[in-house]
Amino acid sequence: MANAEVEAVDFEPDDDDLMDEDVGDGSPSRAAATIPRLKSAITGGGSSTPKKTKGRGFRDEAAAEADRNARMAGRFDSLDSDGGPGPERSIEGWIVLVTGVHEEAQEDDLQNAFGEYGEIKNLHLNLDRRTGFVKGYGLIEFEKFDEAQQAINEMDGTELLTQTINVDWAFSKGPFRRRNMRRRSPRGHRSRSPRRRF
Amino acid sequence: MADGEFNGEFYLRYYVGHKGKFGHEFLEFEFRPDGKLRYANNSNYKNDTMIRKEVFLTPAVLRECRRIVNDSEIMKEDDNNWPEPDRVGRQELEIVMGNEHISFTTSKIGSLMDVQTSKDPEGLRIFYYLVQDLKCFVFSLISLHFKIKPI
Repeated sequence: MANAEVEAVDFEPDDDDLMDEDVGDGSPSRAAATIPRLKSAITGGGSSTPKKTKGRGFRDEAAAEADRNARMAGRFDSLDSDGGPGPERSIEGWIVLVTGVHEEAQEDDLQNAFGEYGEIKNLHLNLDRRTGFVKGYGLIEFEKFDEAQQAINEMDGTELLTQTINVDWAFSKGPFRRRNMRRRSPRGHRSRSPRRRF
Repeated sequence: MADGEFNGEFYLRYYVGHKGKFGHEFLEFEFRPDGKLRYANNSNYKNDTMIRKEVFLTPAVLRECRRIVNDSEIMKEDDNNWPEPDRVGRQELEIVMGNEHISFTTSKIGSLMDVQTSKDPEGLRIFYYLVQDLKCFVFSLISLHFKIKPI
């Protein structure tokens, strides 16, 4: 499975422990003989819970994975950022995500609710492709950080057309840690008592 | 019932493509557990080259993606009666949600006719619409983040 051309990826498919699924627990597996291997990118290398698997994609695992690695290898363009935590600016402004949007909402409803924080440079209110109703989320672009921040602060958890909406940033400067990952405080186990002075 | 909607891991990858006169033309995107969204679109049509974008999403966006997937109930489906990938093309949908991991493959779906005449119209229809909804979501995210608005 070694693919020497893989570069600039977050995970090393060869180095990381690929999780061999434990089929002994009776979970149904479509690939009868092969034990499906979870890419460490999928699990983040942290989890060890066996998964119930389903689907034909688990056949020909090695060949498919080699294809995938080749496709997803190489440099991906991104906007420059320092990689720290916090929201990331998009190409011309700051994007906020609104969720819990009522299915009959119209763009005007979002314009009216959010327009007071600043000029809305871009608004996407996508429809459910099957029903034609609003899918439930909207993406709004403000030119300035402060406008977006204020919209988030004041609109998150409020009601729009009888439904509670949530508002937050859409893009981040870096990866986020999963909730159940152990956090290490920068102080480690150092004492907080003031140092002795001589 | 471990539907894993908001707990546990989440990973999603979608691929659609074919190999032909203009090379390996494909669209692929991936929502990774650390929040990274990767998007690739390749064609050699008129000597075009690959577009590859990546950006980190906030937990809010991942949660919304999970909700979309959950509402579709795709995790309950199975691809064993769906048309196999063929010369015309291939689609792949791989999702990890909580303790379930699906990896479906099928051919390209041209229209609802293809869905209705298949051996599993109900399941394939769920797949068909979920893919469209996911594409909408990803295209919005990518274009808003990377694309300059024309005057």
